[in-house]
This record gives sequence, structure tokens and C-alpha cells, in this order.
Amino acid sequence: MGKFAYDKEVLANLRIDESETHLLDRLIDYESARAAHENKNHAAVDKRISLQEAIAEYVKPGDIFTDTGFAYVRTPIVAYLEIMRQDIRGLQVIGSPATNQSYMINFGTVTHTHWSYCGAEMRGTDRNMSRNVKEGRTKVLSEWSHGTMAQGFKAAQLGLPGVYSKQLLGSDLLKYNPFVKVVDNPMKTEKDPCVFIPALYPDVTIIHVHQADMYGNCRIYGPIINDAALAAAAKKVIITAEEIVPASAMRNDNKNVVIPFQYVDAVVEMPYGALFGSMPGLYYWPRRFWEKMLRYWAYKEGAVQEWYELAVKGCKDQFDLIDKMLGGSKWMAYAKRLTKAEEYENEDIGVDFSYKEWTMDDPNPDDLSK
Amino acid sequence: MTENKPANPLEMIAYVLSQQIEDGEIVYIGTGLPMVAGILARKTHAPNITLVYESGAQNPMTGAMPWSVGGPATWRKSPMILEMSYSFGQMYNGYVDKAFLGYAQIDMYGNVNTHMIGGDFHNYKHRLTGSGGNNDLSSLARHLILVGLQNPQKFTKNIDFITSVGFLTGGDSRAKAGLVGGGPQAVITSAGVYDFEPETKRMRIKSLHPGVTPELAQLATGFELLKPAGEIPVTPVPTKEILEILRKEVDPGGVFITMPS
Repeated sequence: MGKFAYDKEVLANLRIDESETHLLDRLIDYESARAAHENKNHAAVDKRISLQEAIAEYVKPGDIFTDTGFAYVRTPIVAYLEIMRQDIRGLQVIGSPATNQSYMINFGTVTHTHWSYCGAEMRGTDRNMSRNVKEGRTKVLSEWSHGTMAQGFKAAQLGLPGVYSKQLLGSDLLKYNPFVKVVDNPMKTEKDPCVFIPALYPDVTIIHVHQADMYGNCRIYGPIINDAALAAAAKKVIITAEEIVPASAMRNDNKNVVIPFQYVDAVVEMPYGALFGSMPGLYYWPRRFWEKMLRYWAYKEGAVQEWYELAVKGCKDQFDLIDKMLGGSKWMAYAKRLTKAEEYENEDIGVDFSYKEWTMDDPNPDDLSK
Repeated sequence: MTENKPANPLEMIAYVLSQQIEDGEIVYIGTGLPMVAGILARKTHAPNITLVYESGAQNPMTGAMPWSVGGPATWRKSPMILEMSYSFGQMYNGYVDKAFLGYAQIDMYGNVNTHMIGGDFHNYKHRLTGSGGNNDLSSLARHLILVGLQNPQKFTKNIDFITSVGFLTGGDSRAKAGLVGGGPQAVITSAGVYDFEPETKRMRIKSLHPGVTPELAQLATGFELLKPAGEIPVTPVPTKEILEILRKEVDPGGVFITMPS
């Protein structure tokens, strides 16, 4: 008998065979997560290594891997590209949202999906992801809402086997999620259905922060989303940071310090690491780039190969992305100004947010091509 | 210089949606027209509302139209930003008055699909974004308002996947399933405003936009729409002043209120 009691009907709905259920176990096995955390070096040591080393050491084929930040806000996309460069394969992706798996699936990097949301809001429906699922390049292992997945990560951070939720009830998501079960609230005298969500423990998480010290204490500016919970839950934690600061900086001003060093395995100095997404306080999105992504590279069948040649093969790091695809230092200055004006850290009167939307007739993805 | 063109269907939706908001409320906003409506409400009749977003961002100072629900405009000079889990938590706990959601498909009980179109889970025409916050809001919201376009493919008898529960199979089936929250209170489309009959929980015409007859509304619907007793009200249109605010201040770039060509 397996360790976990997955509902047979749900497994059948997802077409998950008995022989595949081991793929599910690690996500909710709190005992192996606890053991993994216990076995880490708990001392405050200098954990700084390069991005290449961190990916090679901590991201293993078949790992349950997270998409962090908020799709394209404070998301370590530069690290995802490095995973693709190192040709690590077979990852299960989980995240709320989990938008970046779309292009990772085409090249075998991701092969399994725990789905909460995949898309880029008003930029358009992701046809590439739709094809990826239909043509079997990724297998959906579970269906979630943003809130319930976030609650699963939070349960892990809170050190609980699981939580009771009032979401998902009555929906079809229950038929396609082997990890959650409808249970009765044990304290109500009348029937009070709830959904039990077990604590979720990804194998590896990469979290992009504004500042980290060498030990892994991290400061995040702007929305944390799920990242404080993921840092506590994941068995392996890689921090990528715009800046490395002295430990005294964290002690003298601990405002916005949200990840403690003991959870962290590796610290990577990775300025501009959220590109081609945005980074609160530092750089705005390349909006035309995302429009090109959803309207062309992910839209037209086969065009994602072109994106791969440009971004993964044609660029070795974020500096290549900036210089070759985004408009160089002029674009970086423009992107900094836009985000700081929108945050009202800079004067916004006189700052022009308008831009020419990307079209096929104007295929340059960078925002300066007005 | 004032553009004297009447409201286009998207502008009408944004206006009607904004009118659902009362001043002083805490309003949960998603991407697209809900964002437009929230900001328009704040700039017109409801200057004291607080906007909250699923990223955890909340209570921003009014600024530019957000390009994304995760963008800086959603947490501009916010005193506090929550984590995603707490953002939904406060909705459960009774701290959110109104929530707005879109839909790809909707049925007569206000159940919503944002998962897939045409077929089933493994063999479909288009796979969509999945739930995101849709199921959470539908499950927990005190007052849920759905917004989108209307045609028989969207307003359909059987949606291809129940992402979010409205009134499930009608009657008291929503409550029996264990859901808190009031369920959908209104659906706002390019044709009119719909509510849900209190006993059967079936979608019912509340008002129709100028020029839209009940026959036309029915033609745009794949199930039988209930009609209210008596004459069907005509949805009030935005004033010239409000339209100007919408076009010049709320969405000057026309990102959300420009009709696709």
C-alpha cells in the first residue's frame, strides 16, 4: 500500500497510472521534507556561489520546481534560462502563478505541471501552453486555484500537516486534484464541508530578492506573493539577489527582511536577474517583449524555437539579454524610471507610460522602438 | 477637447461595473475591465474605496492604469502589502465587500469556466489560463460580480469545466456544497445587467442597455434567460463628464476600453 491515499477516480480523471503515483508523493511528504531540512548545514556560512554552480548543484532532473514571484514580477527568469542552458530535464513545475513553464516545456525542461494559472493576463491566451498540454509535452498532475496552492505552501511554512479551506468546493478542480479531499469540519455540529489541503513541499525553489547577505538573510521590496512560505517549505533553496549586502545591513535595518538565513542553501549575486520580467524599485517590464511572446513566439506554432535561439542560445546571461534584445543601458534607465515613477518614488508628472504596442509589422521587441 | 462619442460596449461595461461599487468599500480587483471599473469608481462617486489585489498588493494611492495586477500601480505607496495567502484569507474573514471576475464561459447558475473551451480535460479546442484567483473569489466573496462579453458560446447551457461555482445546480445547492459567500450577485455584459432569481438561482435580466431588447439578449444567450416582473429597466449610460474621466484619466492609452478592430 502506498504512503498516500489518492482518490482513484481523480487519478483516473488525470490519467495518472498507479505506477506514476510516486511522482506525487514527494510534494506532500512532510517527513522527507523535515529530514531534508534537518540534514542541512544550519550554521551561518558564506553560501555565495555562481548561478551556474547553484543550478548544477541544486536543480536535479525530475525535481519538483517552483515558479516564484508573480509570473513576471520579481521572478528569477535569468535562472530559469540557465536551467535550460544546462539542459536539466523532467522538472515538475508548481507555482501560483506558474507562467514561465510555457517555454520551458517545449525543450523538455518541464514535463509535469501542477496547474494554478498559466498565462500573461491581458497579453493574450498562451497558445503554446495549450498545445504543450494537448500534445502531451507536459502532463497535468493537479489543478489548483491561486489561493489553495498558496495555502498549501503556507501550511508548510506554518509547520502543519495541512489546512482546511473553503475554496474549491463544488468545482471541477476537486475532480482533478489528487492532493485535496473534502472533509467535515470536526467542530461544527451541522455538516460543514471543507477541503483539506496538505502542506506542499517543493524539491527546489529559486527566489529572486533585492538584497541578501552572504548567509542568506533576504530583503524583499514590494509584494512577497508566496516566496516567504516557499523559502520555508522547499527542500533546497537558491536565493538570487540583485545585491549582496553586509550582514550588518540586515541587523541595523531589518525592515522587509522576510527570509532567514537558515532556510537557504545557496546565494547567487544576480543583478537584473528578473529580466525579462520586472523588478519592483529597479526595472519595469519590457512590455513589447511580452506582447511579442504572447502574440508571436508563443502564438505561432514553432515560433518558440526562434525565441529559444535568441534568448537561451544567443544570450549567455542577463547582460546579453539587455544588450541584444532589450535596448541596452538606455532601456535599463527607461525601465528604472518607469517603475520608480509608477511607485511614486520618482516624480511621475511628465513621465510618459505610453508605448507602441508590438505588431508583426514592427517585430523589434524592445520598448524604445516607438 | 471633448470627444462626444457615446460609450462603446467596453466603456459601458466599465461604467456599469463601477456603478456597482459603493463608496467606502473594500473592492477586490482582477486584471482588465475590473481594474478600469475600480479606478473609475474611485475617480468619480467612490473616492474612499480601497482596492485589493490577489498578489497581496492593496490600498495603493491612485496612479497610472496598472499594466498587470502585479505591477507597481497596485501597491503604489501602500502602507502594507499582504502575502497572497493572506489576501484571500481576509476575503474569507469578511474584509472584502465586492469582488469582480471575468469568465470565458458562464451558465445559467453563474458557474464559470476559465479552464478550457470545446471538449474535455484531455481533448479540447483551447486550454485557457486555469483558475488563478477565480475559484477563490467565487468561493469566498461576499458580493461577487461577473463581467465580460455576451454571446451564445460564452453564455452557454453547459460550460466545459466548472472552474468556479456560482449557484452550482440552483436552489440551495451552493450552500449544501459548503461554500461561504453570497455567490454571484450580478453579471454585467455588453448587452445588459443580469441578477439571479432568489429561489431557483437562475440568471435573470435586471436591466438592458439602451437599444437592447429582451429578444436580442436572448439571442446572445445559449440558455433561457428569466425576465423580471414588469417592465425591464434600461441601464443608465455614463454622463459626458464620466466618459471624459474614463477616456482621459483612467485608461488614456485605451488598453482595456478600445474595441478590437
